[in-house]
Amino acid sequence: MKPFQYLAPIPPFEYLSPETLSELFEALDGHGKELQVIAGGTDLVIALKERMVTPKVVVDLRRLRRELGGIKVEEGVLRMGALSTFSQLESSPFVARYAEALRQAAASVGTLQIRSIATLGGNLATASPAADSAPPLIALGAKVTLLSASGARTLPVQEIFAGPKRNGLRPGEIVSSVELPANADVRSAWTRAAVRNENVLSTVSVAVASAIRDGRFGPSRVALGAVAPTPILAEKASEAMTGSQATAEQADRVASLAAEDSKPISDIRASAHYRKRLVYVLTRRLIVQMISETMVP
Amino acid sequence: MSGRVKVKFRLNGVGKTDEIEPNQTLCDYLHDVAGMTSVKKGCDTGECGACTVLLDDMPVSSCLVLAPQIEGREVVTAEGLGTNSSPHPVQSGFVEQDAVQCGYCIPGMIVTLSWIFEHAPGASDEEIKRLMSGNLCRCTGYLQQIEALKTARKRA
Repeated sequence: MKPFQYLAPIPPFEYLSPETLSELFEALDGHGKELQVIAGGTDLVIALKERMVTPKVVVDLRRLRRELGGIKVEEGVLRMGALSTFSQLESSPFVARYAEALRQAAASVGTLQIRSIATLGGNLATASPAADSAPPLIALGAKVTLLSASGARTLPVQEIFAGPKRNGLRPGEIVSSVELPANADVRSAWTRAAVRNENVLSTVSVAVASAIRDGRFGPSRVALGAVAPTPILAEKASEAMTGSQATAEQADRVASLAAEDSKPISDIRASAHYRKRLVYVLTRRLIVQMISETMVP
Repeated sequence: MSGRVKVKFRLNGVGKTDEIEPNQTLCDYLHDVAGMTSVKKGCDTGECGACTVLLDDMPVSSCLVLAPQIEGREVVTAEGLGTNSSPHPVQSGFVEQDAVQCGYCIPGMIVTLSWIFEHAPGASDEEIKRLMSGNLCRCTGYLQQIEALKTARKRA
């Protein structure tokens, strides 16, 4: 009996699972668009089923857990390997301490069954404008390290996003890790609006990172998801927030600027007009909450 | 160019080696090749949870995993959680609370709830709902299933 399938069978491909980095770079060499890399697979396997990609070779990173996995703090830097799953980010005490916004986003991605396998590196490499890990990382000033046969290079996280579902990886290059300053004075928070609570793409997501001292915001960054072709740093909002008085009035002003910084489109999830309004409401909410948490002795 | 991949793994506690077609999902492999018929295909896109299995003791949507990715790992399906004579506490809870109607979502639901039972024994109702949001049930309305988990907790 032929098994019933909603989607047509995935066309055949060669599957490689290198066990060392040199085997990996050998596997990645020379295939160009015929090759796809798989980590957690939660995006790629759907793309394979829907024929959005039809690779001749699929290279699995999973056996490189030692090289590309792990969450640790060293010399004032929080380093998260590309193979870190959202479940691992959600339960890591280091992430909770130094990147609370990322922990909140990780806990909201997909479902338990998705978070168990979906990876941080995959979320960045898929380069969705709605990638939930991106606004927290951008707000926290994170950098992404890319690795290829010719060595490593490091970019601010927003620069790996080249356009909707287009990443800035060069051929033969993979995401290796994400680093951010391990500074416990910096508070960060993330929130989103979506058409339901769970297992849903964000309609708008916002992350804010700042340190409030003596009633003023220190260096601050506001980052936005799903309101531009890529996740973005809200530049005017971040500038206005940095060094300003930590008051509700200022939260309102920063939130208005964040809405101005956003460049949303209308799609099935929301209109551009509504998204701009959401950017204002969510940004204001996060900053007001941050102020009130700091006031508590 | 394509070719089967030799994969060594554990399935429901038993070591296994198989030559696996890489262009099939773990869901298809388990159901159609390995005979684990508890692993149901619902949406085939990681939304419904009917194909949930434990992979290295974490619930995953097996329709989003390529079969050869289980190399060196431990796979547990509902078949591996309990038997008729010795059911898992969550399975007994389902019977006691009558938490089944059509049944299609139930193996995946039981895999997820057994994981919550083991790993989140103190989870509140809200947290249980968040953790089981990846298992859709179009019959029961979920409340009986949460009660089934609580019954299991009481008996444990």
